[in-house]
Amino acid sequence: MTDDMLAHIRSTDPATGLRAVGALHRLAEQVEAMHVALARQEGWSWEQIGDALGVSRQSVHAKYGK
Amino acid sequence: MFERFAGSTRNAVRFGVEEAQRRGDRRVGTDHLLLGVLRDADTAALVGVSIDDARKTADSLDRKALVAIGIDVGDFRPSAAPRKAIRAPFTSGARSALQRTLAHTTAEKSRRITPKHLLLALAERERPDAAAALLAEMKVDTAELRRRLSGDRP
Repeated sequence: MTDDMLAHIRSTDPATGLRAVGALHRLAEQVEAMHVALARQEGWSWEQIGDALGVSRQSVHAKYGK
Repeated sequence: MFERFAGSTRNAVRFGVEEAQRRGDRRVGTDHLLLGVLRDADTAALVGVSIDDARKTADSLDRKALVAIGIDVGDFRPSAAPRKAIRAPFTSGARSALQRTLAHTTAEKSRRITPKHLLLALAERERPDAAAALLAEMKVDTAELRRRLSGDRP
């Protein structure tokens, strides 16, 4: 983390900062959904996708499988 | 809790759950309930904002928050990645608002809980509540809205 970013984070009020955390979660969900779909298109197994995300095959499959 | 809710109000809550899923959130908050209530055109007209404006404002608040911590994501649209249907619990704020909705109905000696009762409860929320922040960002005069809703008899 750069000094710049640290300064930014410190200067923000908590309402904004916590909102940013929520927004990061939503962004992560968006990127995850997009790239799980792409990975499946490229033939990745649920196990491989789970490993890449650091979660179990079961949880990825439960979330994105048919 | 939802047995006395009019069909339109149950729909509003259901739409709120959908909005939470659309945005990729894990719990249904007062902001999602507000979006759910705004899906009804008549209720939206009461508030003076459209559901589209409200969604865009929520996205804009997210974008601004990210910029405030030094992250610029450009065209950020969280509603582009819907979660699969999940059992989404309510936030404590949302539970509070739903309880207030019942209280308003009881105070009015009304037997039906309408979306207006829910909207009134949401309009009573105060910062840092999510619905309060969304209404403030859309420049909605909540004191005026509450007066209008309270004075409105079916």
